[in-house]
Order: sequence, then C-alpha cells, then structure tokens
Amino acid sequence: METIVGYHRPESVEEALALLNRGNLRSVVLAGGTWINTVEFPQPVEIIDLQGIGLGEIRTDETFVEIGAMVRLAQVARDTAIPQILQELARREGPNTVRNMATVGGAIAAAHPESEFVAGCLVYQGRVILSRPGGVTETVGLVDLLDDHSMLDGSIITTLRIETDGLGVAERTGRTPSDSSIVTAVARRAPDGRIDLALTGVASTPILVPVSDTRGLDPPGDFRGSREYRRHLAGTLSARVIEQLGVRP
Amino acid sequence: MKINLTINGDPRELECRPDESLRQILRREGYFSVRFGAETGETGADAILLDGRLVASEIMLGVQADGHVVETVEGLSPGRGLHPIQEAFVTVGAIQSGYSTPAMVLAAKALLDENPDPTEGEVREALTGVLDRETGYLRPVEAILRAAAVLRGEKVDPLESTLVRPLADFDGTADLDSDEPPLDLPPAALRVVPSPEVPDTHVVGKPEVKVDALKLVKGNPAFVDDMEMRGMLHAKVLWSPHAHARIVRIDDSKARALPGVRAVLHHENVPRVRYASGGQSYPNPLPHDQVSFDNKVRYVGDRVAVVAAETIETAEAAVRLIEVEYEVLPAVFDENEAMEDGAPVIHDEPDMEGAYDAVRNIVHHIEADVGDVETGFAEADRVFEQTLRVHQVQQVPIEPHIAIAWLDGDERLVVRTSTQVPFHVRRMLAPLVGMPVRKIRIVKPRIGGGFGVKQEMLIEDIVGHLALVTGRPVRLELTRHEEFVSSRTRHPQTITMKTGVNNDGMLVAQQMTTIGNTGAYGTHGLTVQMVSGLRGLSSYNCPNKRFDCHVVYTNIPVPGAYRGYGAPQALFALEAHMEDVAAGLGMDVLEFKRMNWTKVGDPLDVAAELGEGAAEMKFIPVVTSSGMEECVAQGQRAIGWHRRTDPEWRFPSDRPHIRRGIGFAMCMHGSAISGLDMGGASIKINDDGSFNLLFGATDLGTGADTILAQIAAEVLGTPVEDIVVYAADTDMTPFDVGAYASSTTYVSGMAVKKAAEEVARQISERAALMLDMGSPGDISLRDRRAWAPDGRSVSLAEVALHSLHQDQQHQIMATASYVAPDSPPPYAAQFAEVEVDIGTGQVTVLSLVMAVDCGVPINPVTSAGQVEGGMIQALGYGHCEEMVYDDGGRMVNARLGPYKIYRSDEVPRIEAYLVQTMEKSGPFGAKAIAEIPKDGVAPAVRNAIANATGARINNLPFTPERVWAALNATE
Repeated sequence: METIVGYHRPESVEEALALLNRGNLRSVVLAGGTWINTVEFPQPVEIIDLQGIGLGEIRTDETFVEIGAMVRLAQVARDTAIPQILQELARREGPNTVRNMATVGGAIAAAHPESEFVAGCLVYQGRVILSRPGGVTETVGLVDLLDDHSMLDGSIITTLRIETDGLGVAERTGRTPSDSSIVTAVARRAPDGRIDLALTGVASTPILVPVSDTRGLDPPGDFRGSREYRRHLAGTLSARVIEQLGVRP
Repeated sequence: MKINLTINGDPRELECRPDESLRQILRREGYFSVRFGAETGETGADAILLDGRLVASEIMLGVQADGHVVETVEGLSPGRGLHPIQEAFVTVGAIQSGYSTPAMVLAAKALLDENPDPTEGEVREALTGVLDRETGYLRPVEAILRAAAVLRGEKVDPLESTLVRPLADFDGTADLDSDEPPLDLPPAALRVVPSPEVPDTHVVGKPEVKVDALKLVKGNPAFVDDMEMRGMLHAKVLWSPHAHARIVRIDDSKARALPGVRAVLHHENVPRVRYASGGQSYPNPLPHDQVSFDNKVRYVGDRVAVVAAETIETAEAAVRLIEVEYEVLPAVFDENEAMEDGAPVIHDEPDMEGAYDAVRNIVHHIEADVGDVETGFAEADRVFEQTLRVHQVQQVPIEPHIAIAWLDGDERLVVRTSTQVPFHVRRMLAPLVGMPVRKIRIVKPRIGGGFGVKQEMLIEDIVGHLALVTGRPVRLELTRHEEFVSSRTRHPQTITMKTGVNNDGMLVAQQMTTIGNTGAYGTHGLTVQMVSGLRGLSSYNCPNKRFDCHVVYTNIPVPGAYRGYGAPQALFALEAHMEDVAAGLGMDVLEFKRMNWTKVGDPLDVAAELGEGAAEMKFIPVVTSSGMEECVAQGQRAIGWHRRTDPEWRFPSDRPHIRRGIGFAMCMHGSAISGLDMGGASIKINDDGSFNLLFGATDLGTGADTILAQIAAEVLGTPVEDIVVYAADTDMTPFDVGAYASSTTYVSGMAVKKAAEEVARQISERAALMLDMGSPGDISLRDRRAWAPDGRSVSLAEVALHSLHQDQQHQIMATASYVAPDSPPPYAAQFAEVEVDIGTGQVTVLSLVMAVDCGVPINPVTSAGQVEGGMIQALGYGHCEEMVYDDGGRMVNARLGPYKIYRSDEVPRIEAYLVQTMEKSGPFGAKAIAEIPKDGVAPAVRNAIANATGARINNLPFTPERVWAALNATE
C-alpha cells in the first residue's frame, strides 16, 4: 500500500465526481476497501474514500428495492426487504470481517467472477444508477455494466435497483461448504413465468446465460476446476436450479 | 496526516501516512493484541471492532478509521480482571496458542452486544472472520455460548470430564457390532473413557486452566513481535523468481545508495558455511546442502539477498533495487522425473556434503527389511498392489515466522524467535554467524502455532548476520505469501503398497516403496521418510516387511517437518490399501484389520531398523499398552457405523444425487524418539512455598507449559497456580530438544517429574528437621503442606522460609533430565462420515470422530483440544488444501482462500474420545497425543467416499473435480 500518496473523503457525490475527474491524477475509488486495500498499485495513486457521501439506504417499493451503493453486504445479508436468496448470496461474499466493510457498490465494481451476489443481482434484473460529472445520472443494466466495465470510468455507482418478486434458487459446488464456489448457478422465476439463469466461475465476471443451453460456454480453467469440469458443473447445476423452479429443462 | 479516532474509549489524535493500514497504526500505538496474520487480511488475527463491527484492520487504511470508534481487546478488561467472554475462553479451554484469541473475543463481543442469546450457528457465523488452525473451533464456540449464558445471568457448570462407560471387555474384545445409539452429550463434552488401572491423582488428569491463559486472552504483549526496541531495523529478503538458476552477477549498489538502507547481504559478502536447516539433535543428519546465501537458487522463493533498513518500506524498495542477472536452468518438480536420466542436477556444487547420488538428485536411499518379502509374496494366497500419491501442503501457523536479533550489553547475540527448537537453533546458528555457542542466546516467547514448520532454523541466521553487521536490532517477519513459498511444507510422496495375504486375512508380506520429494534442500528429508516407513509398516503384524525409499531433490519449495512427520502420508497409503485389500478378500474391514493390528506384547520390529534412536541401539520395542479395541468400539458407536450398510441411509430418496458413506482408519504413532530426545527441567522453591519451574520444552499453544506444571504440582502437593513456569530461553532453562516428535509430555514430562521428586525429597528432609523427625521417609506432600505420618504438618511456605532464611540455609532446588528408552505408541480409531454429490464430485464431510488412547491424559481439555484441532487440520490435508504451481514452479495459490483452510461455519461435527490406558513408562501413565490426530482423517474420508460411491481414490486431496473424475472412471 506504499504507493498511496493522497487521501480524500468527499462529503457528496458531486464532490467525489469532481475529485475523480481531476484530469491527470490517478485516483482510486474506495468503498469498503476490502478488495482495493489488498491490491498493490504499480504507480502512485490518490484514494477517494466514499464513506462520507451517504448512499447507505435501502428503499423498497412493491416489486423492487433500491440499495444504496454504500450499503454494506452485512446489511444486505439480513435486510428482509431483499429477496431471501440474495440475502444468502450476500452472506457468501467472504467472512464477516469482509461483509462488515464491503459494499454493494464495491461488489458490483469489482464484479469478481466468483461473486454469487452479483450473479443473484443479474437474475433479479439488476440495474445500476451511475452519477457522472455535471449532474448527469444514468441507469444501466447490470448485465451491460459487467459487459463493458469502461462505463464506470469517471463515474460513481450510487444505487443498485433489483426486482424483489418471483422465486430464486442457487446451487453451487466448492471444495468445502464455505469455499468460494467453483461454479454457482442462480436462477429466478419471475411472476410472468420467465426464468433467468446466471452463473459464476465460467467467465471473467458472473454472467447471464440462456436457460436452454450452457454448452456454448468457454470457461477459463484453473486448479480448482478445468475448462471441461466447469462446463460440466454449469450444465449440472443449471439443470438443478431450473428443476427446483419447477420447470423441465 | 492526522486522524482523530476513539480507541477503547479514549479520543486520540494520531499521525499516519495515507498508505498505512489500521493494524500498523494500532500496533505502533501499543495495541499488541492486534496481530499480523496475512497481508490480505484473511486470518483475522488483525480483527478489531470498528463502530462495533468486526473488521480486518490489515485491509483497512488507517485514514479510513478517521472519525470512528475502535475497540481492541485491551479495552475490554482494563485493570486486572477479565470480561465474562474472556473468562469463558479461559475456563472451557478455547485457547491454544492464543495468537488470535483477542480477535475471537472481539468477535464474540460484537455478537453478544447485539444478540444476547445466539444459536450455535450464529456463533459460528460470528467467528467466520477469524481463521483458527488449532482448536477446530469447537471450544471457542462453546466459550461464546457459555459467555452468553453468564451475561444473561444464568448459572454455568464448572468444566469437568464426562466419564464414558467402557465398551470393550478388559480382555480386549469388544462387542464391535454394537449399534446402540450414540451418547447424547453436548459437543464440547470432555469424553474420557476411564481405565481401572489408573490411580487417583489430584492435579494430573484434571482439566486445569492453561498457565498462560491470562496473557493470551487479554492480548498482553507475549509474542515475538510484542516488544519494542529503540533503533530497530527491518529486514526484507529478495527471493528467487526462478525455480532453478545460477546467479551470474549481483549488483547491490543502488540498494545501498538508498537513504535508510543499513546493510545488503548476499552470497558475495556472507561467508559460505554449510549447514542443514532442520532443527534436530547433534549431529544434524546429512546432507549439509545449504549456505546462508548461495550463488545458485533452487526454487521460486529461495533466498537471494537481504536488506536491513530503517523502515519496512525502505527495505522493500531497496530489495527492488538489487540487480541480479540469472542464468536460468531447466527445472524439475516431480519426484519421479527428478531421478530420470538427463534431469537437471539440482545440487552440483562441489562442496555439497552427504547426498546419496547428487547427480541423479537422490539424497537418500533408505532400506529396511524384516524377514523376506519376496518369499512372503510367493507363499501368500493373494497379492495386492497399488500406487498412491500424496501432495504438498503448508502448515499455516497463523503467526508466520518472525525473529528479532540484537547484541546485548555484553555484545552477545540475542535472538527472540518464533521457534520450536531454541537449543538446536543456538547450536546451528553459531558456525553460520562465526560465534561460539556461549555468545548466543535464543529466547522463545509465546508462539502463534508451529505444527513443525518452526522445527527449523529458518530465518534466525538472516537476522543474526544483519544484527552483527549493523550493530542494531533487526526484525524479520515473513508475509503470508513468503510463509507459503519460502518456509517449509509437507513432503509429497509417491507410495506403492504391496501386500501378500492369505485367504483367511492374515498378512504374510508387506512392502512399501516410497519416493519422497524433499524439494530444493534435504533438511528433514531423511527422517521424515524414515518415519513414513516406520509408521507405514508398524501398525500391523506381518512376518515379512520391506521399506524401500528414495528421497529426491526437486525444484519445489522445501518440505520439512509438519505435525505427523511422514506418518500422515504413510497412513493414508496404508489405510487406503488395507481397506482395498479387505474389499478384495471380501472381508469386513474391521475384522481384517483387527486380525492383523499390533496388540500388547507384539514386537515393533521395523522400529529396530527405522526408529532413529532405536535403530542406533538395534533393539526391538514391544507394545506395552493399547486401547485400540476400546477406541474402535467408542468410535463405532459415536459415528453410527452400522449405517454404512443401510441402503436407506446411503441413498437418501429425497436427494437423488447424494450418496452417503462412513470410513475408518486405524492410527498408531510414537511418543518421542527413543534413545535420542532429551528434556531437562529445573525447579526451585520460593519464600511463599511456590515454585519456579524452568524447562527448555517449547509450548507452541499445545498446552505443554500447563501439563508440565500439572506434573510438578502433582508431585509437590500444590495447585497449579503455585507453579510459575518459564520456558524456553537458552540462557535460563535446561536443555530440551524442543517441541517435535510428540515428545514433550512423555520425555520433558518425565524430566519434570524427576526434578519434582528430588525437590519433594529435599522438602521432606527439611520438614523432618522442622518436625524433629528422625527420618523423612514417610513424609507426604499434599494441600501445600508436608505431612508426617502422625498427622503433624508444616506448610510449604514454612519449609521455604526455614530453608532459605532460618536454619542450615539451603536453596531447595533440583534439575533433572530424561531420555526415553522407549516410544510407546498411542493408538486411535478415526471415523468419518461423508456425503458425495455424484453429479459434481463435491464431498461434504459431516462428522469426524476420533477415539484416542494416549495413555493417561495429563489434562483432558488440552488433550481434547489437540485431537479436535488436529482432526480439522488433517481434514484440510485430505479434503481441500494443496500447494499448486504453474509450469515455472511459481505457486499460484499462495493466499488463504485459494489455499483453503477450514472456517468456523463449515467444520463438520467433531468428537474426541480420550480412552485411558496406563502406560507405565510414561509420566503418570501418559503417552503422546500431539501428532496422532493428523494421521487418520484423510484415509477415513477416502474410505468413506469408497463406501458411499465405490470410488477408491489414491490421490489427495479429494477436491470436487478429482472425485468427479474418479466417479466417471468407476462407471
């Protein structure tokens, strides 16, 4: 962490955006810091710590919930306004020391390929509200943001909006019960009967996949699961969650 | 910059840099309970409360805490008392090394502040942020539940052993088909199966509180790093980026020019002195294949150079400025390939001493024969053969290696170090730093876990060289990444088991052919592999046995000592093989093994060939005590063994992809290295009738200090609190080989007993003088008094004052030492219950039960803790831990998480049974218990998977893809 040369704690989104868009300074946005503070920066950076900008609220409507970007995962894991499966998936984002600091916005920005919570947000039709300089606000699909990470450049994630209705289930395979899963399948049946399916561990971020066919996947292999094995898990676990939702694959 | 925060109720304004972690700042301010475990925060030894929430202070910038409220354990019980949570941790034996205990206590506080009546699941969830390598989490969870009850105002019972009715008959046969239901006891009950042969004792055999519990539970300064020295320098090592390379040129000029750098050492400016780093008795076994800094590197993580500088950051920067030109050489990682023609020669240096065939990378060739196996195989009805591979894992003590060296006022070199072997380190360090032994002092304070990785002189020479060159105190602490790749690991092996057996199940011949991978250096390579042969061929009687073992160099990080020391590898192979032989014969596995396992009176013939000490003396030890039948019977009942043949249980109808199974492994270990391991102890009386007990044995968290104090207290008729323990310090305490080979209770315990008996004799003489008795012969010591047969008595305080001040003054004290002629084996039955997902290969371990005959447990709570924590460590070995490398020999998972150790919320149900036997050669009947819990879990899980699915897996660990592949191969 010795390359951190400056620290800012803005008190509003606007102030944070102004700091972030100063031009030639290399700035790093810090939410909880559980990921950023384990990274070694190759060049000197200035930290923009968002803890002072608010965004810690969870607001509910009938069929959706808006989660402030600075809401900690520990809060998500026990807020009954959030679908139970998403609470469970939030609980799987590391041990309590991590969840007590890590935030929803941070989890989305990191979009770790093994993040079951992000996979869950995908099937709950996650939409992300971004603030950009000049008072511009833009709402983008989580799926699009994961696909094009450059959308975040110069922006601040302020809110995650997810649907709350329907039924969600998850199946995973790991070395041990609390291990980061090798592959997890999360599926949701929306009230209109539509099924959405997301997978972790098969691409560089969690991804939505067509329910009908997971064979086209080309997962990166590693020591916990080869390409072939991950592809097998994707098929097996997807079939299981879809069956649990009462649909014949 | 300045930050304002509240620490333990005090508003503080602190100066810090923006890049400093909160942990660094808190430690600098003297909050020593906040400890380093991993630079990425996973261990939780660094955990604190931030606004009441448990967080990892390592991965939090200090500036992030500006404006917040921080709590550390120092704030929990200011003054001399204990918080009820701390009290509960002490009472139930939740503390082993204590390194992470403050973090666990804080986790408990955060939970109970919010939820006064948590479930066990909620407690386990609250502990997920603090990884524990020692307790298996059982007693910490129990402590928190107990503290919750106390805080709710409920009454709690004192901790006592639960006596479990023996199941085996005293002639050694048990009703082994017993399917009676398991005992309904709370998880943390201390299950002791008593033996009528064991005499009554007052202090021994009781769950006494650890003598070091107070300092550990309060987070008082106690570990190597919990000390401040003015002018201390920080060291950082430049590690090799190549698996095999020659150093062609090294240019340290830029590093030396960096302001704040005080020394840069490497092969060009450090004398080339040969040594072997394994912490073993004199003379260290060959080969002597290391030097402090070499002109060649042999694995990724090998030493190249070291810097000492005013700050860690400067040292890190200087390391990056050292220019090294390497001639990269071909490397070899697999032990079989390393012996092939044309393999790169890893030790081609001309001054290398003592390898069997360095050109073929063969360090040792070990052979041992009993009878004639070839004849045996020819005569046997059936011959079975299989090859198994065991992998490389790391010990992962939560406290990594750390040492601080300085020159004292007499300009002697003092090294305060996290070591299991202070006396060996002193002797081995002397030639490397060019000083006589008398000018070196090694101090071992509290140690945050060792498990063998600290049975090594690993970094003491580095800080020693630097302190001598700079004249300043020098500190070196390994990062977690460095601990993985640059310390020590468990030896991988390829093992071929071949067994000749008659159709009735009697063994006729058994052969174990092993290729042990000792990595880049020999260190423990000889003796670990000898123990593999010893353990692999000792459990069962067999007239013809052969052990043939090659120990080979490769370019992987160096294996060394790891709890179990060759036995977990061997017993995985043996117990997997025996399971399969039983299946091949169509026999019940218990019946087959029982027919063959060693019983009281049986000779341990291989020990005469392979037991280090016994081999010197060429004598054949005999089994003198065994509770094996009782262990099996208790374990069978506890695990529900009969279910393994019940299809309804094995194939749950509501979960079609699940298969269930139960597996068994028998375990047999040793108690110390007979004829070699020596422990010494010294006891003296104080004015108040208390005693100082000094010894060289090294408590790593095992409870050794406590059980040695219990042994002294038992003899001297005092409570444990009257025994003041100090260990280990080469200037102050008698010699001891240190903590390894399951020796402390059995060997050092006997030394303490002998010293205490001599002190008791002196007390009796003095009491006889005071009571005007002619002869002291009939005086007995109990309740802090010396009693004459006629009922008169004097207190030990009166004895002390009389002898120190009043008449014929004399310091009552004694020193004794002990070397064991024998190494009586503890026995154990290990059971595992698993679920296998046949669609994915995922194995979930539901239960582990181990019933252990460790003779008489001196302290049932520390003994149970050894078994519980050992089983979970062993489960990691079998199930999920592995060091993985890329093609260049770079470890790809040198971080906790990717390297997976078990967490509080996922451990299976664990139960330990302490089956008493009276081992007459041990102190108060004790045998060893430290290592045997590591031996049986991997094979028991393997055999459970076989029971569940039919898949017989011969490679560790049982990760999902491996099991899935095996299931597909079976189909």
